[in-house]
Amino acid sequence: MIIKIILFISLILIIISVFATIYRIVKGPTSPERIQALDALGIYIIAGVAVFSILQRSTAYFEVILLLGILSFIVTIALSKFIERGVVIERNDDD
Amino acid sequence: MNAMTMIELGIAIIILIGTIVGFLSAIGFLRLPDVYNRAHALSKSATLGVLCVLVGTFLVFLFVEGYFSIKLFLGIFFVFLTSPVSSHVICRAAYRSHVSLAEISVRDDLKEAIIENNKETEDM
Amino acid sequence: MAIQVLANLLIGLLWVFFQDDWSVLTFFSGYLFGLLVIFILRRFLPTKFYLFNLHAMIKLLFLFIVEIVVSSFVVIGIIIRPKMNIKPGIFSMETTLKGDIEVTLLALLITLTPGSVVVEISQDNKIFYIHTMDIPDLSNSVLQSKDRFENAIKKVTR
Repeated sequence: MIIKIILFISLILIIISVFATIYRIVKGPTSPERIQALDALGIYIIAGVAVFSILQRSTAYFEVILLLGILSFIVTIALSKFIERGVVIERNDDD
Repeated sequence: MNAMTMIELGIAIIILIGTIVGFLSAIGFLRLPDVYNRAHALSKSATLGVLCVLVGTFLVFLFVEGYFSIKLFLGIFFVFLTSPVSSHVICRAAYRSHVSLAEISVRDDLKEAIIENNKETEDM
Repeated sequence: MAIQVLANLLIGLLWVFFQDDWSVLTFFSGYLFGLLVIFILRRFLPTKFYLFNLHAMIKLLFLFIVEIVVSSFVVIGIIIRPKMNIKPGIFSMETTLKGDIEVTLLALLITLTPGSVVVEISQDNKIFYIHTMDIPDLSNSVLQSKDRFENAIKKVTR
């Protein structure tokens, strides 16, 4: 019983953190700050799904964790390459 | 209270510590002045928090259910390896798209280096 | 060295296919078998057998974990201070490491030390530009621990 209460407190803390990052996405004056907040949002959602899978005692959510980790990394890299130069994949014209 | 409940309670406390660390770094997201300072909160504290939570989940399913999940292990490894890389890439993109540092900053070696580099390329 | 690890993983995967038994234990026994194959063939390979510096690798991984725990508590200590009097800035640091793998590992390790994020690396991989949260204290601690990190990385890659 006490374990469930501890897990619920953790879930509430994670939800408050998610709202803090959403505030930063909406407000953040420049676009790198929005990308950074999106990356943090992915990390907090991973933590939330992990706690939820313990509460449910189900192993079906592990694919969600792995895929969210990979996708948030790729999205961060692609978006920051985009605002850096305007292209996602660099080509070397010298070779 | 038997041994299994004690193990579960210990793991739940690990998860609680992880979420508290993540929550404090979310407060840092609101308080710190510019994008470079927020990268510290993201690359260190938030990563440590989510690593604690994922390791706790891994241990729960290993000890209580007796299920060794290779997917979750890969997820832990991936998050640990990629979070410094992504924060470095964001910082580099921010500097190259001319996001200025906060006004309380005291030193900027990179600006001088870029100015010198531009001079050399103009001379050539 | 990386090519040896990849070949070893490939042998483990092939072992799983041959046994037609998708479990962790089968993959692990295949991995041990591949280790034996690479150990026998080690004189024909251009680089050193990679388990010879396993000790240095474990030490480097342990260094990573210790640094992330210490530095996140330093950052949290700065965040929860009621009046935030920090002096952020960017400073430069020279390194003696060569090659892509060594520079990447050093950049990862510096990103995990207290209050420092690598912003840019110069064209010839010689100079790091590092952003830090508090310029006199934390930048000195990075400069002091640089030699320790470089030695730990050299033991793995050389």
